[in-house]
Order: sequence, then C-alpha cells, then structure tokens
Amino acid sequence: MKTILRTNNVEKVYGSKGNQYKALEDINLEIREGEFIGVMGPSGAGKSTLLNILSTIDTPTSGDIIIADQNIVRMKEEELSDFRRNKLGFIFQDYNLLDTLTVKENILLPLALSKVPAKEINERVEEIADTFGIREILNKYPYHISGGQKQRTAASRAIVANPSLILADEPTGALDSKSATGLLESLTALNEQNKSTIMMVTHDAFAASFCKRILFIKDGRIFAEIHKMQQSRQKFFQKIVDVLVSLGGGH
Amino acid sequence: MTLFSIARKNIRRNFTNYFLYITSMIFSIVIYFTFVSLKYDQTIQASTDASTKISSVFNGASVVLMIFVAVFIWYSNSFFTKKRKKEVGLYSLLGVRKKQIGRMLFYENFIMGILALFIGIALGSILSKFFVSLLMKVMGYDAVGNFIISSDAILNTILVFTLITAITSIHGYRLIYRFKLIELFKAEKEGEKEPRASLVIAAFSVLLVGIGYWLALQNLLESDVWRKMGFMITPLVILVTVILGTYLLFNTLTVYLLKMLRKNKSHFWNGLNLISTSQLLYRMKGNARTLTIIAVLSATTLTAVGASYSFYYNNRSNAETANPNSMMFIAKDKTISNQIKERISEDKKHNIVYHEVIPTLRLNVDITNLNSKNSADEVEYTIISNENYNKLIKEQQRNDSLSLKGNEAAALDPTYFEGLSPKYVGSTVSLKVNDHSEDIRFKKLQKFNVLNLYTAYITVVVSDDLFAKLVDGTSPVNMEVYKMTNEVDAKALTKDIQSMLTEDANFSSFYTDYAQGMEASGLLIFMGGFLGLVFLAATGSIIYFKQLTEANMDKERYDILHKIGVNKKEVKKSIARQNVFVFALPLLAGIAHSVVALTALSKFLQTSLVIPVLICIGVYAFIYIAYYFLTVSTYYKIVTKSNE
Repeated sequence: MKTILRTNNVEKVYGSKGNQYKALEDINLEIREGEFIGVMGPSGAGKSTLLNILSTIDTPTSGDIIIADQNIVRMKEEELSDFRRNKLGFIFQDYNLLDTLTVKENILLPLALSKVPAKEINERVEEIADTFGIREILNKYPYHISGGQKQRTAASRAIVANPSLILADEPTGALDSKSATGLLESLTALNEQNKSTIMMVTHDAFAASFCKRILFIKDGRIFAEIHKMQQSRQKFFQKIVDVLVSLGGGH
Repeated sequence: MTLFSIARKNIRRNFTNYFLYITSMIFSIVIYFTFVSLKYDQTIQASTDASTKISSVFNGASVVLMIFVAVFIWYSNSFFTKKRKKEVGLYSLLGVRKKQIGRMLFYENFIMGILALFIGIALGSILSKFFVSLLMKVMGYDAVGNFIISSDAILNTILVFTLITAITSIHGYRLIYRFKLIELFKAEKEGEKEPRASLVIAAFSVLLVGIGYWLALQNLLESDVWRKMGFMITPLVILVTVILGTYLLFNTLTVYLLKMLRKNKSHFWNGLNLISTSQLLYRMKGNARTLTIIAVLSATTLTAVGASYSFYYNNRSNAETANPNSMMFIAKDKTISNQIKERISEDKKHNIVYHEVIPTLRLNVDITNLNSKNSADEVEYTIISNENYNKLIKEQQRNDSLSLKGNEAAALDPTYFEGLSPKYVGSTVSLKVNDHSEDIRFKKLQKFNVLNLYTAYITVVVSDDLFAKLVDGTSPVNMEVYKMTNEVDAKALTKDIQSMLTEDANFSSFYTDYAQGMEASGLLIFMGGFLGLVFLAATGSIIYFKQLTEANMDKERYDILHKIGVNKKEVKKSIARQNVFVFALPLLAGIAHSVVALTALSKFLQTSLVIPVLICIGVYAFIYIAYYFLTVSTYYKIVTKSNE
C-alpha cells in the first residue's frame, strides 16, 4: 500500500538557549493509505504538538515530513494553506464549526473555498450527510444541534474534499458516551468502506480501541506501538490499558 | 495594599489596553477646551464688530459640542468596560467583594478622567492659539492676538468633564452589581441569531426615505403639502421619515438583499463569499443602529460644512451681484463729489477703472397687477435710460445690451425669485411723474443690475425717448458709480468716503458687503469645519471601535478558517470586503441625504453649490477612506495574531 505520511527525525524544541525544552524528539513514523492510526500518551507527552506539526499549523525545529509525496517543511505559507485545503481534513475536540453558517454550509465550506461548482457541491454534501446520518439537520445552525451532531458535522466537513489524510484531535473529548460511540463507528465505517486514512489523537482508551494501530508517545518520543490485527475490540482495549499502565504518569 | 493602589497599578500595567479609552477622552477634552477658549478669547471679541452675534453662535455650538462629547465618552466608556467584563468577573471569582471591585473601577476611571483632563487642557492651550489665528484669518482679520489662556475656559472645561467623569465612574462602579458572575464571563459570546427580513418592511424603508426626499425637494412656496402641514412641521416630518427610513433600510433591506445573495448558490458557494456574506448577515441587525447614527452624523456634517463652505465660497460673487460697481452713492453736492473723486484718484492702492454719473428718476410705482408674493403693492423704482444702461453694461463687461423703443422697458432685479417676485415680462405698470403718467410694458427681465442694489434697489430701463419725456419738468437724481482695482482691500478708502457722505446718499460699496460676508460666512465655516472635523473624527472612531470589537469576536472564526486551509491573502480580502460594506453603507446614505438637503438649499438660495459641495464631500470621503484602511489593517492584525 501507498505511504501517505512519513516523518524523518522530526524534532520540536521550545524556548531559547539555556532553557530549552524538547517537546518532540526523534519522531519517525509512517502512515499508509487506508490506515486508522491512534496516537496516545499522557498529558504533556507531545501528542498535540505532533498533530499540529503534521497538520502544518506548526513547524518542526528539524526533520522532514512528507505527506502525499510533498515535503511540507519546505512549503511557503500560501502553499501550506492550499495543501491543508486539498490534502488534509480536520476534526477538533471543540468542533470548530462556524456559528454563522448552517450545518450544510459548514460542510461545504472546503469545497466552496476550492471553487467547486454548486451542483457538484450539492451532490457531495448530500452523499456525506447520509453517511453520517445528519440529513435532517442540514439547514440548522450549530447552536441548535447537539454535541454529537456537531462533531458529525465537523467530521463531514473534514472528509468532504476527499483529503489524503484525516487528522482528528480528541474528537470524542467533549461527547457523551453514546455520541462518542456513534462518531467512532462512523469513522470506522469511513475507514473501512471509503478507505480513508485517519490519524486520531486521544487519551481515551475506549476511543483508541477503534483504531487499527496505536502509537504511544512519552516525553516527546515514540515509546511503543501496538497493532489490533485480528483481535476483538475488547481485547485490544485491554491491551491499550496495559500499555497505558506501563507508561505511567496518569492520563 | 489599598484598593486605590491596585487601581493605579491596573492602569500602569495595562496601559496599552487603556490607551484607546484615554485617547478618546483626551481628544474630547482638547476639542471642548479649544472651543471654549475661543469663546472667551479677548482678541476675537475685541476685533470683531459683531461680537454679540459671535458669542451667541459660540454658545449654541458649545452646547452641541458638550452633548456630543458626553455621548462620545459614554460610547468609548461602554466599549472599554465591555472588554473588561471578564477581568471584573475574575476578581469576583477570586473572592474580592463586589463593593471593593466597584470602588476599584470607580477610582480607576476617575484617575484616568483627571489625567485626561490635565493632558487635554495642556494640549488644548497650544491648539487654541492656532485656532484663534485660523478663525481670524477665515473671517478676514489680520489681527494676531497676544494669546492668554483664559481661566474661564479652564474652569468651564474642568466643571463639564469632572461631571462627565463622575457619571462614567459611577457607571463603572455599578458594573459589578448589574451582572451575574456568569454573564460577566460570557460577555463576548452574547448570541447572534439568524436575522429575519420582511419584504414589506424593506419596501416601506425605501418608501419612507423617498417621502422624505420628495418633501425636501418640493418648491417651498408652491407646494401644497408644505402649506398644509405647516412650515414648522414639514422639516420635522422630513427628518423623522429619513432617519427612520435609513434605520429600516440598514435593518431590513440590506438583510433582505444579503439573503437574496445567499440564495444564488453559485455565487454564495464560491470561496470566501460564503464567509463574508453570512457574517455580514449576522451582524447587520445589531449594527443597524450604529450605522444609522453614523449615516445621520455624516449627513449632518456634510450638510453643515457644505452649506457654510458654500456661503464662504459664494461670498465674493454674492457681493459682486449686489455691487456691480465698487462704490455708488447719490450725488447731491458738487463739491463733495469732487472731494471724493480727488480722494480716490490720490489713493495709490486703487486705480479708477471707470467713473460715471448716471441721471436717474426715483419713482414710487403701484405694482398691484404684477401679482408679487413678496413685495409691497407700491415700490420705489430707479429709472435709467437705455443709453446709460448700454454704457454701463459695456463697462462692466457684460454682453447684454438693450434697444428699447417707445414704452418698452426692462426690469433689472438681481433678487428675482421665481414664483415669488413680481411677474414682470408682459405686464404693464404706469409711472407717475408730477401730474402726468406714462404706461410702460416690461419686455425683458434681467436677473442682474448695473447699479448697486443698496443704492438703487430695483432698476427699470426705459427707452431714451421715454426717459427724456419723463425727466422733462422734474430734476433727475444723479447717481455716481466708481469701479476701481483691488476692491477687496478697500477698508480705509471705503471708511473715508462713507464719512464724507450723509446718510441719504445711500452709499454702497463692494467692500462693505464683501467684508460683512467674510465675517459672517467665515465664522460659519469655522464652526462648520470645527464641528465637522469633530464629528468626522468621532464617526470614524465609532466604526473603528466597533469593527475592532468584532475583530476580537471573529478571531476564533478566522483561526478555524486558517486551520482548514484559507491563506492570509484570502483572509485579508474577506476582511476588506466585509469592512467595505460596513463603511460604505453609512457613507453613501450620508452623502445621499446631504446632497438632497443641499439641493433643496441651493434651490432656495438660487445659487449653484455644486463645486463647494463636491469639495466638501471629496475631503470627507478621503478622510473616511483613510479610516477604512486603518481599520482593515488593524482588523487583519488582530485576526491573524497567533494565540501564543
């Protein structure tokens, strides 16, 4: 399978001389097309820093990041914007929906930005709305819908432009367990049916158990990696918890 | 640590946050102090002839300014406190008592007020010196005053601003009591709801503005509507319909149009149109009131400045219309006439362009059958012969000679007002000299005169034959006219000649009218310009403040957009487009309103105000556009500033 993302010795250092703090060190990872990968680790381990760097919002101090055959470290601001728009999809913990737009408009925003014709936009939105079961709320505004619906809207927006990689940052963090399960099932379906590549940062072992592969980060380094393979979700969940315990430091 | 010192430290540490507020207070104080200083200034009062008129104009204007300044400070104060709700909430959360917080806010505001007062008076003292000389200059005086800072002005300013500061301080004190803790934290998240717009109200808004415009553009004297509603009520009706119409226009019509725009998917779903349109739509209803205030302020400023500048601009031509000759008087005594001629010839500043003695007849004429609305039934006409008329017209370099025959006549009436003045052409009046009378028929009307208005009033030209017939048996009145060079600068000469003549010589001069006009219109334009500048600065600041508040609220949105791949260029474009809308709407409405008002004025005054009004609108729009660019660039900086 094709490699979607590869990082070479990515390092992120905060602070100036004398008072340096390494948030990330020696990060080498590879994500292949169709993977559903989880990133876990205790607070302060560098999960969010990694995600920000991979999503091109932040830049690494050194190292290379190649996404969809392009080295994003060398890109200029405008290229990065276009790259984010065309190649990446985002799902955030706090949804990040625009409250002046309806659910439908929020979803189609990336397509509108890429100047896709209105007719095509409409078809695409309807299709995705069905996948996530939000057809009924398409004309509502974000503050009229529940957290679960908001997150499904955000997920719809993330995938609407068929990105190479979907990045999810604690997508279930603000959801109740029922909505969380619903969202995770939708993401799984997306991964299995559409072959979408998803990278999800979470500290919730239950959410992580939906992934196929999990990277554990501790103190800025990749500490462990486990694969689901053919295990059941319950078993995989148990395994995740075991690793987390061995990581220590609470989560 | 006392509360007083906490408050003091608050100001010192967050000085940049307080900067805008203090600046707007200082600005208000400088303006007010400067204005009051002018009011009390000795040089101005001493050197102007019309000092009572001046002080009453200043009094009126200073009241307007006071109200305005109070509103402006109140506005910046509420902008300022809105930004600090969270901080106040935090103090409360940390367990500081409400009373203490209130007292802290009170002290803080009071310290700033007093500080602004000192700085404002200091700056104002320097500025008022400049403004005194400017005022003297536009009024046409040379005097440069020995400038003294008036203690009255300082006292007046301190009194007014201490009062305003006390009120805003009490308002600040009460802030903590007015809101629940949770509301203080949510201060900036107050809901924005999808606005509604009805087509009926949108149409009604256009209708209202239309009615206002239509009424304003009526011919005052012939309009039935004006007569029926009364001359006091109709202007009020115009004001109310236009202001209400403007408000509804912003409130409903723009929302309606934006919604229509949103229906067109291929436009709406195209890049950042989606963002700009929907954000405008959301803000529009909440903004309608501010935009209306700005539109009305702009219209007022433009109308006032445009009108006063027009008077100033037209002063020279008005003086020329009334005085085609530099000087004119009725000559009764040969020796005095000779003395005058000598005095003028000797004057090195002026050369005589022409000097004529025109024989005239002054007759009281019954003009009942001319159907005039504004003049008495019997008026005094100055009759001159066709020959003399042609001589003067040539000397005055107009190409308008007459050749009247028999009982034909021409009226020279520079004050002619269509519909109001006598209907000359075609009418017949009879001129009575001693016992016999002659009928004359008006063949032509000229809206100018060859004689000065004050000396001759309305002049009638008759054929040379008729003039000879009329003069026969009576003695004509000789009128002397002089045209000289450098007539604008004839103060000393005018004064001398006037003193040589008696009252009944009806002496008139270009210089007298010109200087009087300069004084009155100079004062007007100074007031208009001064207040206009203040209003302009204030309207600009109001939009600036408002847009920056919105920028802070929009920051989050633009962060999201940045994350999903909108580049900085597009963000800038979107900001520029949104702001164009917010800035252009009130400006266009203000310009439209003022153009209608000034068109009405120009109809009434029968002069073309196009050039002075265009200059005013141009200057206003230029400064306004500068505000636009300032706002866009600050907005962009706020929105793209990273959170770290």
